Amino acid sequence: MTVEQNFEALDQFPVGMRVLAVDDDQTCLKILETLLRHCQYHVTTTNQAQKALELLRENKNKFDLVISDVDMPDMDGFKLLELVGLEMDLPVIMLSAHSDPKYVMKGVTHGACDYLLKPVRIEELKNIWQHVVRSRFDKNRGSNNNGDKRDGSGNEGVGNSDQNNGRANRKRKDQYNEDDDEEKDDNDDSSAQKKQRVVWTVELHKKFVAAVNQLGYEKAMPKKILDLMNVEKLTRENVASHLQKFRLYLKRISGVANQQAIMANSDLHFLQMSSSLNGLDGFHHRSVPVGSGQFHGGAPAMRSFPPNGIIGRLNTPSGIGVRNLSSPPAGMFLQNQTDLGKFHHVSSLPLNHSDGGNILQGLALPLEFDQLQTNNNNNNIRNMNNNKSIAGSSMAFPSFSTQQNSIIGAPNNNLVVLEGHPQSSPPGFPGLQINKRLEHWSNAVSSSTLPPPAQNSNSINRQFDVSSLPQSRPDTLEWNNVSSSYSIPFCDSATTLSPPPALDTTNPRAFCRNMDFDSNTNAQPGGFYDTLQTRQSGNYGPTTDAMLSSNPKEGFVVGQHKLQSGGFMSAEAGSLDDIVNSTMKQEQSQGDLSGGDLGYGGFSSLRTCI
Amino acid sequence: MDALIAQLQRQFRDYTISLYQQGFLDDQFTELKKLQDDGSPDFVAEVLTLFFEDCVKLISNMARALDKTTGAVDFSQVGASVHQLKGSSSSVGAKRVKALCVSFKEYCEAKNYEGCVRCLQQVDIEYKALKTKLQDMFNLEKQIIQAGGIVPQVDIN
Repeated sequence: MTVEQNFEALDQFPVGMRVLAVDDDQTCLKILETLLRHCQYHVTTTNQAQKALELLRENKNKFDLVISDVDMPDMDGFKLLELVGLEMDLPVIMLSAHSDPKYVMKGVTHGACDYLLKPVRIEELKNIWQHVVRSRFDKNRGSNNNGDKRDGSGNEGVGNSDQNNGRANRKRKDQYNEDDDEEKDDNDDSSAQKKQRVVWTVELHKKFVAAVNQLGYEKAMPKKILDLMNVEKLTRENVASHLQKFRLYLKRISGVANQQAIMANSDLHFLQMSSSLNGLDGFHHRSVPVGSGQFHGGAPAMRSFPPNGIIGRLNTPSGIGVRNLSSPPAGMFLQNQTDLGKFHHVSSLPLNHSDGGNILQGLALPLEFDQLQTNNNNNNIRNMNNNKSIAGSSMAFPSFSTQQNSIIGAPNNNLVVLEGHPQSSPPGFPGLQINKRLEHWSNAVSSSTLPPPAQNSNSINRQFDVSSLPQSRPDTLEWNNVSSSYSIPFCDSATTLSPPPALDTTNPRAFCRNMDFDSNTNAQPGGFYDTLQTRQSGNYGPTTDAMLSSNPKEGFVVGQHKLQSGGFMSAEAGSLDDIVNSTMKQEQSQGDLSGGDLGYGGFSSLRTCI
Repeated sequence: MDALIAQLQRQFRDYTISLYQQGFLDDQFTELKKLQDDGSPDFVAEVLTLFFEDCVKLISNMARALDKTTGAVDFSQVGASVHQLKGSSSSVGAKRVKALCVSFKEYCEAKNYEGCVRCLQQVDIEYKALKTKLQDMFNLEKQIIQAGGIVPQVDIN
């Protein structure tokens, strides 16, 4: 979208809200698309979950909301739901013809923000924008250390902030921007330097943790911590927000068995994690770019993160695969001072691209990183690995607390300071959802280093099935293959298939495009459809028969064509044209032409731009 | 010409109402019609085209799955296709087809082969019947337009 378009969309929200619709059923997809358009949303459709993931990964900020069917051949809708939540932290609405409560429950546990039954009515869709707003609202609420400005405020000089600044559908960007502004107000050092951020380096964090430990977790107050830390230029606000994040972090991981490890390496891990700290109540916040077990070396923590995103889904913040915290904290945190928008999801992606295996990894991060360096003050970035960052960049701190706020509130506001090793892959954060049960954990946490609470154990424990991680990606790839086999052209084998029933003698093509049927060809080895034919003639009165003969109704029968093979992408006008063409050919071979009946011309309007 | 238009419109109205009364169509179809506007004048026809394509595809899937000559019958596969057909038929307002899918599904779950086969036959008949009916309805619309009239909004109560 151009800047102008963005503005328009922003100003008129929910008009122009960008929705990605996924459903393998082309009929339902078409209807859904039209319904959404009538709600004045901006719609993109795909009939393949895999394609949907690609679109989402391609640009995390391209969509505000995802609506997905549950039963899809190439990927289970719930799985897509998890992945989207983990990687992109977008609200996802499930859609299904299953009204069984257990499906609805499954949707809930996997993090769907709503569950709609087919047939969907437009009234229901008119309100789905609330989920986008709620998501942003929750993030805002979680990060109110410095006040309560929810509106995208001035964007003085914050790079593309004008573009990013906006309303509900600008979520994290808003968050960042407004916090940015607040931060500026709060800190003398910042003065016109929006680029100043507190860089919570490992060293700094260690001091912080030491101070917290010394004071006692429950008694740790920002002021005291600040005093203990005795760090120049660090403000109480910085500490406060960092503390808040830290608390959330601990609560999340408190369900993990390796809590000792966590505590031991908490500085690294926490820093890694904090970039995707979720808002306190974002029930569908999923900033973890899990993507699958492709996080390697640099981000072992992520690797341990199970692909099922149950972690993120269940409001249990735990699930951060806290395993090998020994590895350097991949520079998860991007000190995003200017173009925050770019980092929103990006920073949640592993920065390590060397791997290449993971799309997420290879994604925009390197680009973003470059931008960071070029756009930003660079101090922070360069100081990332620098212990002197604290002292060296006086600008760092003030700005950071802003980030802190935003981070806390906006899970996806991965603007946290880049910590150290940019090249290592920062583990994405599991979509951590803080839920009400945090209280349990905070108690648990405070009582010891990190006693593994049993609450929510089911899903949490399951999460750490590392073995399942690496498979998630390959699985989805395989699904693609499966999907193509799934939709087999009807008449791939005349012998094995029950032959197309020539129910109406003039329309033998009804079932098979490959067969060269004429009214006499009723080859039915299976005899299956003989009865059909018999019955059919009995059911229709003379009038109907006459109509049958005169209206081959080819408009309805387009054969199987490409629509069946692989993915039916609404954007592939080509395939539909083919269908139309081949259908026309069939018609001609049959001596009939009835393309006009159902407005073939209308097919061209079926295309959707993605 | 006006008389002709009026007559065609009457015919159209009556025919449409009869489709509802006979249970071929339900409210969802009405909703679909509401979505048709100048921006997408052939919306309903397009959607129904897709739907009937889906019918063909799904029915063939079911037939294949129910084909005993290829081995054991995979009822879950049949069920999956039925489920999808149920979803799309309910989305377009194909009332009878959808009702059939409901009982079809039950047969699948019960692994009742004969029941499934019967349902499959019926589904096949039903969707074709609907196709015919709708074809006629669209033809009437076309005639009205060609005669210079506009297609009336039919109020179904």
